[in-house]
Amino acid sequence: MSAGTWGLAFAAAAGGIGTIAALVTVGPTRRWLVGILSGLSAAAGGATAILVLVGHGPVTVHLPQILPLAGVELNLDALGAVFVLAVAIVALPASIYGIGYTAHGLNRRSVQAMYPLFIVSLLLVPAAASVSTLLLLWEAMALTSLVLVAAEHRERSEVREAAWWYGSMSHLSMIAILMALVVFAGHAPGETFEALRMSGRHLSSSTRSFVFVLSLVGFGTKAGVVPLHVWLPRAHPEAPSHVSALMSGAMVNLGIYGVLRVTWDLLGGGPIWWGITVLFVGVTSALFGILHALVARDLKRLLAYSTSENMGLILVAVGAAGIYSSSGNPMLAGVAITAALLHIVNHAAFKGLLFLGAGSVVAATGTRDLDRMGGLLARMPVTGAAFAVGSLAIMALPPFNGFVSEWLLLKSLVQGLPASSVAISVTMPIAVGAVALTGGLAAAAFAKAFGTGFLARPRSPQVEAAAEVGGTMQTGMVSLAVACLGLGLAPFALLDVLRRAGAALPSLWGGEPVRSVGVTLHTGGLTGSLSPLFIGGGLILLVVLIPVVLRLLGVAGRRRVAENWGSGRSLQTARMEYTATSFAEPLQRVFDDVLRPEFDLAVTHTAESRYYVEAVRYRVGIVDGFETHVYRPLIRVAKRWGEMSRWVQNGSIHRYLAYLFVALLIVLLVSQ
Amino acid sequence: MDGGSCNGCEIEIGSSFGPVYDAERLGIRLVASPRHADGLMVTGPVTHNMVGPLQKTLEATPGPKIVIAVGDCALDCGAFRDGYGVAGTVADFVPVDVEIPGCPPDPSAIVAALRGLIG
Repeated sequence: MSAGTWGLAFAAAAGGIGTIAALVTVGPTRRWLVGILSGLSAAAGGATAILVLVGHGPVTVHLPQILPLAGVELNLDALGAVFVLAVAIVALPASIYGIGYTAHGLNRRSVQAMYPLFIVSLLLVPAAASVSTLLLLWEAMALTSLVLVAAEHRERSEVREAAWWYGSMSHLSMIAILMALVVFAGHAPGETFEALRMSGRHLSSSTRSFVFVLSLVGFGTKAGVVPLHVWLPRAHPEAPSHVSALMSGAMVNLGIYGVLRVTWDLLGGGPIWWGITVLFVGVTSALFGILHALVARDLKRLLAYSTSENMGLILVAVGAAGIYSSSGNPMLAGVAITAALLHIVNHAAFKGLLFLGAGSVVAATGTRDLDRMGGLLARMPVTGAAFAVGSLAIMALPPFNGFVSEWLLLKSLVQGLPASSVAISVTMPIAVGAVALTGGLAAAAFAKAFGTGFLARPRSPQVEAAAEVGGTMQTGMVSLAVACLGLGLAPFALLDVLRRAGAALPSLWGGEPVRSVGVTLHTGGLTGSLSPLFIGGGLILLVVLIPVVLRLLGVAGRRRVAENWGSGRSLQTARMEYTATSFAEPLQRVFDDVLRPEFDLAVTHTAESRYYVEAVRYRVGIVDGFETHVYRPLIRVAKRWGEMSRWVQNGSIHRYLAYLFVALLIVLLVSQ
Repeated sequence: MDGGSCNGCEIEIGSSFGPVYDAERLGIRLVASPRHADGLMVTGPVTHNMVGPLQKTLEATPGPKIVIAVGDCALDCGAFRDGYGVAGTVADFVPVDVEIPGCPPDPSAIVAALRGLIG
């Protein structure tokens, strides 16, 4: 067995032992064993991914005895390894974090036993190399995460509702994936990916398009793209936070993996409208996601919508790569796909970090409502600093990691402009505009999340009394913050190995799209280079140097402690502060037509006179338009259908006997 | 900054920045917050309730700053001297740099005083 095979075997074994340990132990032992074994599993998976990415791959495992008829086929190539690496980057810190986090009422047998299994399924999905293996692992991932989402169903009824949504949507996605892959495998000589890859290019164009559309719907649901995202802003906030980090940082990526694997690897790429479709799905998700993130009051809901947005950005890059490769620009396609893969790893790091940070806030204060937070930076300095790092990274500001991948993304889109093709000259300006708008709104959304959550003064007593979380939780957050900084300063370390992942997508990869010379990135065939290390180093130097020099010159350094200007009032309370709602209000007004907020203003007058006001109650609610206008009507129809079938299925044994009799008569008549 | 004035001085300050005297042509502007101000124009006698706000407003103004006492009441409490709500003159609570007498002062006097400040 090769080192890679051992790595995968170790990852699976550690996860399995973790599950058994969760079942047989109790109390703190259970938390520690589950955390450590899940962490080991993630570390082993990550190490295997790195082995494959530096050239010791692919890792192939064939286990004929596990599944009847087909057997389990695993083959971890460089493309899968990027996704395994992304899973490992968030799963290892999340597991350590979980040791402390689950102490707050989550140390139950069912929850703890599912967690290692969830990690193993996440690590193995990108390694699946046959249709049945992929479906098996995919379903394992969906079911274990469903149990984890429903972890707190006894405490809150919203958890049950979220779990229903999540379960239904992930099974609809499963049906779409199943149909796509079964039809695909039916037209191929076998069901291994090898067989599909060989026949993928030679299928009829209608079959290929059928497989593409259904797999985009199926995998897109998992990636949380609009309009299939409705489960995401419900399930991610209600899940325990270390699970949310895994779902948002790792699981949704696998949706992108599925799209890439089926469409551009197994089918070998397709006509230009495939790329255009993916790009516009991406644009819609990015804009819709960030608009809802902007107006969200619930911290974890904000992060969940931002996941939708980031998956949208990745799909924009994937779609652009598809358009470029279909119109004969393989080099540009390579730049775009590099941006997509890099953003997947980066998003895993910063979204994992933000969810862990949000989890610490929830654990310390018991609320997810941004309008009740404030002043947490002084009370929870480590969590606050980690959340600040995550916010800066997701705003795509140097020296953190989001900057590099968004730079590459915009670069690949802008450079497409002079291209001759009509499709490119129409779609790319739209994509550039949408990505730029998304970037700006993301900055506003996270300025809101950090500003109203961690700065100013606390807006409620439970936030006032918040205290910093324990050591394991801090370790989890700090290690992800370091990863964000490291990936931001030294992306060239990762870009060099992404080349092998690109080689697994020959239809999207030409030449050497992004290469690094020393610490500078050069985009192949395009003008432009970037040295994140110099930019980051320069920024840090400026931030440190300017105050020092000013102090030496005697200009700065005189500190005056004074009250905030409050129009000379003698009493200023936290209720006068900007809240998350008021911060987002101007932008919400701009996007009124898309968000369609519902206002409710109730003024109560005193009994003596209508000129005196006793209380003013202002409520603003923003519901997801897709949920009310698409899903609710569909659910109503399905319900009515179900009620009609109740008339047929009324539980009376006599009627069932009559059905049998009639059916028998019909069969006899037909077979005459 | 109104320390408790009868609003006569405010009307004259308003007309100093109106179309006839138009002090803005000299580069002088009325701003909405002391955070943006180079100086404070204080009118009226300082009442008990306004002592704190007056001091807070001065504290909120970035230095270097100028305090201009506008009108007779600001200088010596004028008609309100010895009133039960009056705490004292502006100079009793904050250091005054420029005084503009009059009840109320003429806009031309206000513009002339401001003109003297900007050199």
